[in-house]
Amino acid sequence: MLETTALTGHHDVLAKQKRISQPMTIITNSEPRTGQWEDALTLVALNQDKDAYAELFKYFAPRLRAFGMKMFGNEQQAMEMVQDAMLNVWRKAQLFDASRGCASTWIFTIARNVRFDMLRKKQSRKDDISADDLWFDGDYPEQESNSSEHWDTMLMSEKLAPHFDALPPAQRMVMQKVYLEEKSHQEVSDELAIPLGTVKSRIRLALDRLREALDDTRS
Amino acid sequence: MTHAVKFHPGLMLLEQYVEGSLSADVALAVSAHIDLCPHCQQLSKDITNDQAAVLAEQAVIERDSSQEWQQMLDFITNQPRSAGADSQRSALPQLASVTVNGKTFEIPRALARLAEKQNKWLHLGGIATAKLPTADKQHVSLLYIDKGTEVPNHTHLGLEMTLVLAGKIVDENGEYGVGDLLINSPDDTHTPRTLADEDCLCLSVLSAPLKFNKGLTRLLNPLQQFFY
Repeated sequence: MLETTALTGHHDVLAKQKRISQPMTIITNSEPRTGQWEDALTLVALNQDKDAYAELFKYFAPRLRAFGMKMFGNEQQAMEMVQDAMLNVWRKAQLFDASRGCASTWIFTIARNVRFDMLRKKQSRKDDISADDLWFDGDYPEQESNSSEHWDTMLMSEKLAPHFDALPPAQRMVMQKVYLEEKSHQEVSDELAIPLGTVKSRIRLALDRLREALDDTRS
Repeated sequence: MTHAVKFHPGLMLLEQYVEGSLSADVALAVSAHIDLCPHCQQLSKDITNDQAAVLAEQAVIERDSSQEWQQMLDFITNQPRSAGADSQRSALPQLASVTVNGKTFEIPRALARLAEKQNKWLHLGGIATAKLPTADKQHVSLLYIDKGTEVPNHTHLGLEMTLVLAGKIVDENGEYGVGDLLINSPDDTHTPRTLADEDCLCLSVLSAPLKFNKGLTRLLNPLQQFFY
């Protein structure tokens, strides 16, 4: 398969670059209920509610700091990123639209963009590539949904088991609950206290990853 | 867009794009590909959700820094909200265009702002290039190839990414249409050309100059700056 070999080639090239570190402790207990952060953001947007904001801040600021530390390896820059990102959350809360995604995704993309622009600003002139060029803050035209049903035959494959075990832990857990324990997406969302959209995203990603892995062994 | 995109960035490349850990020039090519590829639009959205949830789920060690956090919190909540925050985002990606060889081509959203500030087109035979004004170390350009034109056989001294923006291009390995992303590693050799009846506009990202291999075209090596 030409396409697959071409793509495998890409991986070889880029595998040299830093791999996203996957293992992270996942808390399933004492996790806030789904929807809490979306509600808090809405209160900030409507009333500039300082208590709701403080809740968001207490939860996300230390986690953004950890993200910043991973990317900068430097405490001072990490904290600068946290402040810039969390300030954006405070000032632009009206732009959050719960119908387009969950609060954690919105906050993550803000931090990622702040971090990217911080790095570029230190390195180069101002008409350089910016986060706004790279990450479109809007919606692409709707596509017909590609259902995951045609994956079922692939999931029957005996060759799948080792690749299943190699999935990132968070994706593997969702796949296990949906396909082995036969739970509905909503049940998984409630059980793990993650947004329904994230459950669906993780299933699609795991399926894509498994397909890539199976294609690799074929070629 | 009727053409189905066949050549995509791999999952790992998309993950690094979403995380923001790719170099800006490579990320730009990935971003422009996503603008043209519904499949990768969905995929990058899924990866974003996943990475954000990983970030939100991670356990953090509470250090003894509550005073520092409190100061930051107080500072932030004393700031006014953004004046322009009510203004709506653009709902759909804005398209821009470039004109070369008397023809106007639409280009993806990711390139719109940079292409506005492009330098002049430089012509050499049926080929024209326009460098996009990015930081000095990056070599990002638009590459126009007239119909029935061959780019002399060359070897990549570094990574070459080519994204087809309009028309079609062929090389020894296959045929590439709008949205297809070709990635050539160092030491890959190929001879890209256009078909007799269709020209081609590409985005080209190079991490090192091209080296021309054959006969007279080796004379082109002094001209490698043209492509780089």
